[in-house]
Amino acid sequence: MTLQEFYAATGGGYEDALGRLHSERLVQKFVLKFLNDDSYSLLCRSLEEKNMEEAFRAAHTLKGVCMNLGFDRLLHSSSMLTESLRNGVGENVPELFQQVQQDYEQIIAALQQFKKTQEL
Amino acid sequence: MSNCSNEKHKILIADDSEMNRDLLSEILADKYEIVGVEDGLQAIAYLEQNSHSVSLLLLDIVMPKADGFEVLAYMNKYHWIDDIPVIMISSETASSYIKRAYDFGVMDYISRPFDISVVQRRVSNAIMLYAKQRKLISIVADQIYEKDKSNNIMISILSHIVEFRNGESGLHVLHINMITEMLLKRLMQKTDRYNLSMADISLISMASALHDIGKIAIPDEILNKPGRLTDEEFKRMQYHTEAGAEMLRSLNLYQDEPLVKFAYQICRWHHERYDGRGYPDGLVGDDIPIAAQIVAVADVYDALTSERCYKKAYSHDVALQMIANGECGSFNALVLECLEDISEELRREMQINSPDHKASKEIQELSAKMQRYEELSASTKMLWQLEFERVKSQFFVSELSDLAFVYQIEPPILTLSRPNSLYAGMSEAIIDPFHNAQFEEYIQNGEQLIDIITENVHQTTMKQSSFQVTGLLKLNGVTKLCCCICRAIWVFHDQPRYMGVVGRIIELGEQDASLKVE
Repeated sequence: MTLQEFYAATGGGYEDALGRLHSERLVQKFVLKFLNDDSYSLLCRSLEEKNMEEAFRAAHTLKGVCMNLGFDRLLHSSSMLTESLRNGVGENVPELFQQVQQDYEQIIAALQQFKKTQEL
Repeated sequence: MSNCSNEKHKILIADDSEMNRDLLSEILADKYEIVGVEDGLQAIAYLEQNSHSVSLLLLDIVMPKADGFEVLAYMNKYHWIDDIPVIMISSETASSYIKRAYDFGVMDYISRPFDISVVQRRVSNAIMLYAKQRKLISIVADQIYEKDKSNNIMISILSHIVEFRNGESGLHVLHINMITEMLLKRLMQKTDRYNLSMADISLISMASALHDIGKIAIPDEILNKPGRLTDEEFKRMQYHTEAGAEMLRSLNLYQDEPLVKFAYQICRWHHERYDGRGYPDGLVGDDIPIAAQIVAVADVYDALTSERCYKKAYSHDVALQMIANGECGSFNALVLECLEDISEELRREMQINSPDHKASKEIQELSAKMQRYEELSASTKMLWQLEFERVKSQFFVSELSDLAFVYQIEPPILTLSRPNSLYAGMSEAIIDPFHNAQFEEYIQNGEQLIDIITENVHQTTMKQSSFQVTGLLKLNGVTKLCCCICRAIWVFHDQPRYMGVVGRIIELGEQDASLKVE
């Protein structure tokens, strides 16, 4: 799997990311770092603990990271969740979170596959 | 600040996401030194310790503990924002956020997602602009210093001309200048009756050099007559006060300049007496401006302790005795007290400033000044000194095996050498500890020692600034009997000012919490 194929599979904008980061090396480096980013796990944990303020911050961070990397699909779902959590009110939070979870897991699965091809 | 080209500017990145910090670091680390912090409180604490060495802050808005706007509020409160440019980087695109950031004085706002070359360019622009501004500030400061120095030189040349004609050494002007300054500073400490500021003191001391310019209008044969003056001659001699004042009054320009006003008072009234029997106007008491009163005492003291064509020099002690006894005029009792108070300092200074020492000391001072001046501007030198002190104290604190603390009131920050010894997870620098929920809770759980310290600090004074107390303190959940040696920090600038407290806490032993210690 190539970097472009990874982006295509997860609904991301490879060309945009490359345009902003100027080199494939940098895109690849930070895409792989996403595996270790803990904003998603913080989001899960704070939702479980009903700490909505923390959940907002985590969703917000996740959204920012997706913006830089051009993970457009996850960016869309995490943005919706962020806005819903912004004032602690939280309409449709479970449904919105479910979408985030689905998009996130898809990226992680594809990333692990991509990482494997890189290590070969 | 420094012109060393191999020295990198330091950028502080405050962002709670490691990914974001890493990305910014990746694209900036080539050219800059990068420091990353993960929440607003850490950013404030870092700036508190390093505000002089940070060239730029890249600031996220949404962060735990304190958000970007809280950091900006702090930076405004303590004026760090004047010296450190801030660029906000955020995925918030709402114009209200951006407007608020600009209102707080940020220099630039970069929205996510960003192009790395845009970030690089904006960062370098911000740093260059501020570096230029800092350079300009230091040039202006140096020029003001230069101008002041030139003014002083002009005044002292002018007054030396008068003295040269008088057959006196140039030392008289120098002495009067020095004694005037010492007396005024002491007077300011003793009373606010005369509304003196440090700027006034500097102007009056400078103007004191002009006290005898009127002698230029006195004929040589009277001025330098070795024998006793006739009544007629004495009258003409006395005229030098009015002549000097007239010379200043006839300057068309500069009439409103404080320096000229003080010089006028000094020239005209430095031979008045507090009892009203002086000349030329017979002013009584505090109708004589304080500038003239002070210069009059300084003039008499220096005349007594110098050799003149009609007399030998008296010693310091004899001169003071003669003035105190009223043998050489009548003075304000408060001014005489000041003279008494500065007596020892004055004796020392006069020895140093005797003609023999003078020349070599002047050369030494000048060359030292030149050296310092060429290497560093005044402002940079002060910053370096501050940095030196900071590193020095950090070193000593870290070498102590006991728990040491520093508490400063502006901005309120408590710094601890071993934060974890109080309770786990305590941070090294606590901002505004007495409004910090976690720290307050800790204190309320019977931390008797902290109350005792607070109470004792309130009783310190400039002179009585150290104390030692004993009390109970909970260290990692165990109540211990501890001894605390403290020193309240007072500084003196115009008036005493309390700045904070430093201390060392020594464990004496474990203590049953039920035992009360007095």
